Amino acid sequence: MRDHSKIIYSTMTVLLAMSPLFLNKYWVDVLNNVGLYAILGLSLNIIVGHAGLFNLGHAAFYAVGAYTAAIFNTRFNIPVLWLLPLCALSAGLFAAIVMRPIIHLRGDYLCIVTIGLGEIVRIALINDIFGITQGANGIFGIDRPSIFGISIRRPHEFFYLIWGFVAVSVFFFHRLENSRFGRALNYLREDEVAAEGSGINVAHYKLACFVIGAAWAGMVGDIFASKMTIISPESFSFWESVLLFTLILLGGSASIPGVILGAFLIVGLPEVFRGIANARMLIFGGAMIAMMIFRTEGILPSRPRRYVLPDESSGESRA
Amino acid sequence: MRKILFFTAAFCLIAATTFGASTIKIGLMAPLTGPWASEGQDMKQIVELLAGELNEHGGLLGKKVEVISADDGGDPKTAALAAQKLVTQDVVGAIGTYGSSITEASQNIYDESKVIQIANGSTAVRLTAKGLKYFFRTSPRDDEQGRVGVQALEKFGYKNVAILHDNTTYAKGLAEEARALLEKKNVNIVFYDALTPGERDYTAILTKMKSARPDGVFFTGYYPECGLLLRQKKEMNWNVPFLGGDANNNPDLIKIAGTDAAEGFYFLSPPVPQDLPSREASDFLKAYKKKYGTTPGSIWAVLSGDGFRVLTAAIKATGSTDSDKVADYLHNKLKNYPGLTGTISFDDKGDRVGEVYRVYRVNAKGEFILQP
Amino acid sequence: MEEFFQQLTNGLAVGAIYALIALGYTMVYGVLKLINFAHGELFTIGSYLGLTLLTSLGLSDVFGPVLAILLLAAMVMGLVAVVGALLERTAYRPLRESPRLSAVVSALGASIFFQNAVMLIYGARLRVYPLGILPRTAVNLFGIYLPLVKLLILFASVAIMTALYLYIHKTRIGTAIRAAAIDQGAARLMGIDVDRVILIVFLIGPALGGAAGLMVGLLYGQINFTMGWVYGLKAFTAAILGGIGNIPGAMVGGILLGVIEAMGAAYISIAWKDAIAFVVLILILIVRPTGLLGERVAEKV
Repeated sequence: MRDHSKIIYSTMTVLLAMSPLFLNKYWVDVLNNVGLYAILGLSLNIIVGHAGLFNLGHAAFYAVGAYTAAIFNTRFNIPVLWLLPLCALSAGLFAAIVMRPIIHLRGDYLCIVTIGLGEIVRIALINDIFGITQGANGIFGIDRPSIFGISIRRPHEFFYLIWGFVAVSVFFFHRLENSRFGRALNYLREDEVAAEGSGINVAHYKLACFVIGAAWAGMVGDIFASKMTIISPESFSFWESVLLFTLILLGGSASIPGVILGAFLIVGLPEVFRGIANARMLIFGGAMIAMMIFRTEGILPSRPRRYVLPDESSGESRA
Repeated sequence: MRKILFFTAAFCLIAATTFGASTIKIGLMAPLTGPWASEGQDMKQIVELLAGELNEHGGLLGKKVEVISADDGGDPKTAALAAQKLVTQDVVGAIGTYGSSITEASQNIYDESKVIQIANGSTAVRLTAKGLKYFFRTSPRDDEQGRVGVQALEKFGYKNVAILHDNTTYAKGLAEEARALLEKKNVNIVFYDALTPGERDYTAILTKMKSARPDGVFFTGYYPECGLLLRQKKEMNWNVPFLGGDANNNPDLIKIAGTDAAEGFYFLSPPVPQDLPSREASDFLKAYKKKYGTTPGSIWAVLSGDGFRVLTAAIKATGSTDSDKVADYLHNKLKNYPGLTGTISFDDKGDRVGEVYRVYRVNAKGEFILQP
Repeated sequence: MEEFFQQLTNGLAVGAIYALIALGYTMVYGVLKLINFAHGELFTIGSYLGLTLLTSLGLSDVFGPVLAILLLAAMVMGLVAVVGALLERTAYRPLRESPRLSAVVSALGASIFFQNAVMLIYGARLRVYPLGILPRTAVNLFGIYLPLVKLLILFASVAIMTALYLYIHKTRIGTAIRAAAIDQGAARLMGIDVDRVILIVFLIGPALGGAAGLMVGLLYGQINFTMGWVYGLKAFTAAILGGIGNIPGAMVGGILLGVIEAMGAAYISIAWKDAIAFVVLILILIVRPTGLLGERVAEKV
């Protein structure tokens, strides 16, 4: 079973890596969008999927990263790829500061607060806060990224940058979810009181997972800004947060392949349905309901953790 | 790796040229869905109508013209994809689009692929300030509208003016332009703020504005909000005159406000086809009415028709679909072309030359009357 | 001072509509612990149905304006209630035993579905209620202008909310609804038909949303297919502000949110109005983590 899925995944990876060779610019650019959503999805997955926290304001962190990149790049001419750590830092710091007082809110209260944060950030950007975001116009003239002096401009070139970043993210989040930290998050998702009782500092872990998710989203913001060369507040609307949230649950929450599949669905399906023009979002909405009814846990749900016991007889334990 | 890339690229190119030889492809990037869908649908109808007429009269350079439309959804990211899609299909030029920030997200993509872009509703000044060789627009610029708006306010003799925008790129740009000009002329700006578009109740804003006691209000946003403002202002018994920006040129404004509340409302706009004496305009209106049963909703969609007309005229005149030749023709040789919205010439930045804006007033029947 | 009271009444009128919609969120949440994200779209459907019935039936010619509006309201509420019950049947009932987040995605899907269904049926252009159904006069109360329509709507929403409060607290079914909200399992053991309670909740909530939709149409005239999203988000905020699951809380939260918005616009900044409302919400939640009237019980999963 496991070997089987390994073969499938590696074939898919090879196929994906080769795809720019036989796809035109348009479809490669669609794949680039899928990649960006996949990374954002992975960064949100740690919050929604693993810790079970209701976050419908992820676009706020993404926006902080994108604007950090845009501001530093256009004002101080710092190359965008060098700004990656700074974007991660600013988005992470932002999350730490704003989530600190409200991290103890439960379920749906946390949901509305994250929606509120997303809206506050968007309104602040539109109103040109501190005079640095240039309001609804957005910031334009952001540089394209360059690696070793080669400027990345065309969709095909972006493809390798973005999907390379996806690979790094998959590795990072895979390691993270199998670490002590990841297991602690799962524990507090399943039973917060018991987790607290077992010595897990719940508030601390919740905050930490928000910071990590936000920092990662901030880096995506950097790449997004350099790909678009112009960013404006409408790219970071509530709808964007809803899409990210949905893609996780459609694909399979707390499951890396699930999240990536979710990104394909959420970006790909509306593109594929473009033929039926006006009804495409109607079908999309209907499909969301149907998928949840028939695959409640998402299409590729996360598997229970398996641990091989030292004395050769394999056992299972559920985190 | 490079070799493979090169060969696929070459293959695509050959495939595309042999494929595309029978038609000349012109792209249309329009908000077919999303908040500005009605504008986008009009744009599509108009460009398709004109393309149909052109093909009936023998097409272009002996080939048929094919319009390929792509939906920008009124959103920058979707617009970038739409532009990518058109570029991949080897269009000679692309018409569109409506919103300024949406157009901006697509500009680089067209420019890098040397595809001519003719925007129709994007009035933000900076779009043509970048020195892009292949970018044109048939719409006027915000600074011109600001100037005409301020002239009108001056003519009305207002000493205290309230300015209200809606924080969109376009409306804010116009509001800032007007504020700067008015301040130079020693007119007091007693109120300057932005509403949130898409809401229903603007009484809080009107109450606040009323307490600032302006002689007149300049609203630079769009017609759905303006209709509500006019209606709620009437319900509050406040009789301050309103001047609106060019996004108010839409018959729905009257329906929302009601004729009694809309009467006396002034707005700026390029002249609508109905008010143009030229034969092109009246022929176009007749054909549009015959095919779709109505008149075009707003001037912006008609401007996309002009974009199509100048582009095809340039291809015809140069006898070529080469972007450099066509762009050069549009910049330098196309002078006083008879468009649907008046004569068209472009300057070296790609802006439309000449005064376009007029002042309109709503009469007691809810009709838009061109002011002398 | 005059301006203050004018702004207060502006806020109350907006808030009353938020409160009506918020009731739908809070009732469903109370019983199912589900945020019905499609509720805003039910509100939209209400206002579109109102427009269709108003223009096609010509009720006001036969019955006169007052009776016509009442009849119209009854029909709209009834139809939207049916839509609500169907929604529960197809999109939520199969997910009742599933993880809560799956039901939320289903709700979001239903929201997208309804929004686009309305767009396909009625078109993307905004629609306008015919003028002159209700008299367009304004009442002058000590220098405060109040359009008569607004006054009527304020009155109607207070009446509806009072009726609902009495229904929930004084009738047998109301008691059953409250019992199911506290503990579904125990309620079932007490012989309460929980499925029926849920059905009733999904009839009442959408009916109130539909009524709010009709009111917005009559009051402001302009409706479009995306407005449910904006109103829905505001009403959800209001429900949380008052303490979700709590019926008087939704009323208080809605009216408070309307007033906060009007005051924020009047005395701080119009452009920042929505941000101000959210900041106030967050501050209140920091102090009272379960909203103004929410019960402070530790949620044991």
